[in-house]
Amino acid sequence: MTITNEPGADVAVPSELITVIVDGVAIGVPKGTLAIRAAEMLGIEIPRFCDHPLLDPVAACRACLVEIEGVPKPQPACAQVVSDGMQIKTQFSSDVAREAQEGVMEFLLLNHPLDCPVCDKGGECPLQNQAMSVGRPESRFTLDKREFEKPINVSAQILLDRERCVSCARCTRFADQIAGDPMLELLERGAQQQVGTADDEPFDSYFSGNTIQICPVGALTSATYRFRARPFDLVSVPTACEHCASGCSLRTDYRRSTITRRLAWDDPEVNEEWNCDKGRFAFPYMQQGRLEWPLIREDGELRTASWPEAIDVAARGLQAAGKDTAVLVGGRSTVEDAYAYQRFARAVLGTDNIDFRARANSAEEHSFLASRVAGTPVQVEYSDLESAPTVLLVSFEPEDESPIVFLRLRKASRTGTRVYSVGSGTTRGLEKMAGTCIPALPGREADVLASLPADVRDALAEPGAVIMVGERAAASSGTLTAVVELAESTGAALAWVPRRAGERGALDAGALAGVLPGGRPLTDAIARNSIAQAWGLAESDLPRPGLSGVELHDAITEGRISAALVGGVEPADYPLDAVEALGDLDFVVSLENHHSAVTELADVVLPVAVVSEKSGTFVDWEGRPRPFGQVFRDAMMGSDAYVLGMLASALDRAQPSTVTDIRAELGRLGPWTGSRIPFEPARVDSAQADTTGEVRLDSWRLLLDLGVMQEGDPHLAATARPTVARMSPGTAQRFAIGTHVRIEGPGGFVQLPVELDESMIDGVVWTPMNSEGCRVYRDLGVGYGHAVSIAPATEGGSA
Amino acid sequence: MPISDSTREQMREIAARYPSARSALLPMLHLAQSEEDEITTDGINACAEVLDITPAEVTAVATFYTMYKRERVGKHHIGVCTNTLCGLLGGDAVWDSLVEATGAGHNTASPDGEFFLERIECQAACTHAPVMTVDWEFMDDVTPGSAVEVIESLRRGESVQATRGPAIRDFQATERTLAFPDDGLADAPSVDDKMLAGLQIAKERGMTGGNA
Repeated sequence: MTITNEPGADVAVPSELITVIVDGVAIGVPKGTLAIRAAEMLGIEIPRFCDHPLLDPVAACRACLVEIEGVPKPQPACAQVVSDGMQIKTQFSSDVAREAQEGVMEFLLLNHPLDCPVCDKGGECPLQNQAMSVGRPESRFTLDKREFEKPINVSAQILLDRERCVSCARCTRFADQIAGDPMLELLERGAQQQVGTADDEPFDSYFSGNTIQICPVGALTSATYRFRARPFDLVSVPTACEHCASGCSLRTDYRRSTITRRLAWDDPEVNEEWNCDKGRFAFPYMQQGRLEWPLIREDGELRTASWPEAIDVAARGLQAAGKDTAVLVGGRSTVEDAYAYQRFARAVLGTDNIDFRARANSAEEHSFLASRVAGTPVQVEYSDLESAPTVLLVSFEPEDESPIVFLRLRKASRTGTRVYSVGSGTTRGLEKMAGTCIPALPGREADVLASLPADVRDALAEPGAVIMVGERAAASSGTLTAVVELAESTGAALAWVPRRAGERGALDAGALAGVLPGGRPLTDAIARNSIAQAWGLAESDLPRPGLSGVELHDAITEGRISAALVGGVEPADYPLDAVEALGDLDFVVSLENHHSAVTELADVVLPVAVVSEKSGTFVDWEGRPRPFGQVFRDAMMGSDAYVLGMLASALDRAQPSTVTDIRAELGRLGPWTGSRIPFEPARVDSAQADTTGEVRLDSWRLLLDLGVMQEGDPHLAATARPTVARMSPGTAQRFAIGTHVRIEGPGGFVQLPVELDESMIDGVVWTPMNSEGCRVYRDLGVGYGHAVSIAPATEGGSA
Repeated sequence: MPISDSTREQMREIAARYPSARSALLPMLHLAQSEEDEITTDGINACAEVLDITPAEVTAVATFYTMYKRERVGKHHIGVCTNTLCGLLGGDAVWDSLVEATGAGHNTASPDGEFFLERIECQAACTHAPVMTVDWEFMDDVTPGSAVEVIESLRRGESVQATRGPAIRDFQATERTLAFPDDGLADAPSVDDKMLAGLQIAKERGMTGGNA
């Protein structure tokens, strides 16, 4: 478990130490320390169920009773703040404490079923363990135990066996204090006290899976894991989460080459002990529907091919296109894979046409990333969010787009950090951070940032203030320029938070036109020389700056590019025609682990490893490396870097293809300390600022949606939020919208139920980006910040 | 029967009385019960909406306190103390006679919906044991016969006077008083000479407690 300082306490130097004596041993502890923590510092373990260092003390289970000199009755060590000179006697030195603990344990076991042999928790159960260590071996209770209907669903994913519960209130406190979703409560009273939800509202939280992990008994289980394995049969591997840029440490448990579950791992500096439900439950995609063999298109159809044949065909095709190849690296790449892509592009194909931004992007963003982010050391960390007086969010919805950032901001907001968000309304997530919305039309954030209220601007000038900008800012012209100006004029720290796990690492690895590894400018002579030397090339062998983003897309559609090498992109992230445009190219090679819109039009498909089959590194939004090991050593698939190494060999070029070799090469290059690409401020695109369209579309991807990597767990999918369109009552009135709305863009329309949101500004409609019944790019043909028209619709009404 | 708009308005009125609106939940639940005879999902959701808390948080409170009923109470709530003292002095017999007279059971209404019985815990009226409550007003020193008589009178629509309190109205009216306790009906003296007799004797004889 994590030991953290009390919020707001000085981490480095405890203000004042006081002395307490535990079982006769004296120790100096900071003022305000709980007796149970003081004992832990001495290695004295007091039994506990309700105690959790990240939750407020509640003294609900009474298992930690200790004797305190001068106090007539045993006291709960988990809620007892120590005082100077306090003498605490635990079960090891006090009969009173030992007997009190045994008595409590006997009470807790009265109604607890003896189903350990079939219980998921058996083998890793604090109740089982502590009943053995501090309980009576025999029960004196001979009556019938309390029974409940078992199990009940507190959500589609989380199941509750109430008879196992010891009413420790960890899950309910987590829901309330950490997640901010108090939909799980202790109901009833006395012997009937039980955890439950309201009759018609499930435990609707993106973080619900954490309750299973902190449950000290087997009362909470997931539909996915329940009855699938015993803890002692599992092999555990520390891993890092591949789902977003929050950077969670995870533990992956597997049995017989199948992942059975994933847990949040303990990383106090990053995810503390939490993760989100996507990180916890969205792993079945790795073992379902995988591409197993290379595929080659022959007479218009893909057919299975051997590896040597497929590599040969792919290598020759790419060689023919050479410099006219586009290399598109998906946001899921590890640092090592992204490095391999850019090295293959520049050293083997001789092109700098490379972009990791497999989503809406802009030249302004390119300049921002190249100048401000690529290869920079950590500028803002999680702990900075906690101590920040003010955090301003721009084009960023942390609960959906980086959930651990959300948890940390919520924690910060509970101890005084003020959160502001530039957006179209106060979202549920912002409410939970006690945040304030600074209203802005999607696409017009730049104007709002330029004329922020004076109090917000002043708050950002306080030391420690942070501005966090999301990747959606790229779709809103001028936003990043305004953000840079704001950060410079106020002195606030600036953090860019991409949505995908691989983006920051790919940027640092140089998978962006004009930007070599470590943020080295491709046009800088020193940088070119050092890279060329590392790659065994002459400086003149390195390509001149190539195309990326919109320019690269235009080149593809205009026929100036003839081939593409595409690695693991999610077509749903792209504006519609970006993937379609690839169909017109002469030759497309797709490195993928599942069939996708890209493999459908590819000429060669090369299957690659998923994260459980390889090792590698993600870089989280902070810039912190999150290395992870291989779960399955007997994996049949090689990583992207391994396959690219084979392609390079087929073209008589060598390039490092293992994680060890790539890390070694990156290590030899070291960080870049030379000149950086300067930031070029963008002028606001006046065409985009045109508001003659009826309303503007606000949209982002919900945490749980139709993402490819969430496939395979119907219970998780069932906890996704319903697809609705949100708008202000004023907007609804203006367009006479009732219960349903028809939203139309140039590419089509969707019809959705309406949720009126009084916090939203007029003239905006919000929809999820890629949810059931609303895939914005595909269905509407436009994205975030664009004009759409809305009209009344009826439920299930026709077009 | 959904919670009416006027009840929601009154809920807001109650919430406005407290520095922290959430403190209003207990009287608000009584108000919901005065309209619906029980705590329904709709009543819970109305409270949650007014206070901007989750239905689960309201449910936790509504299921903890036994005065909030999960079954329709009907016209009158009849409580019989069956704790040790009242039970021994006739409470159990009173209970049996009421079950027979009404056809109701513990936390269950009679078939005609007129009476809802509940074995209640100590009401701090042991001097008047056995006690019965009708819509939470005291009926002191009851017997099986007098208890049934109260039931019969109520059934005939006659006025019944509480021993220490106002004339009996009905359950809904009492729940409303609990939500808005400033109607004067809650001010009747609840302590009488019999309850103070011991104190009187102690004073006369100059008796004091151990450490006083």
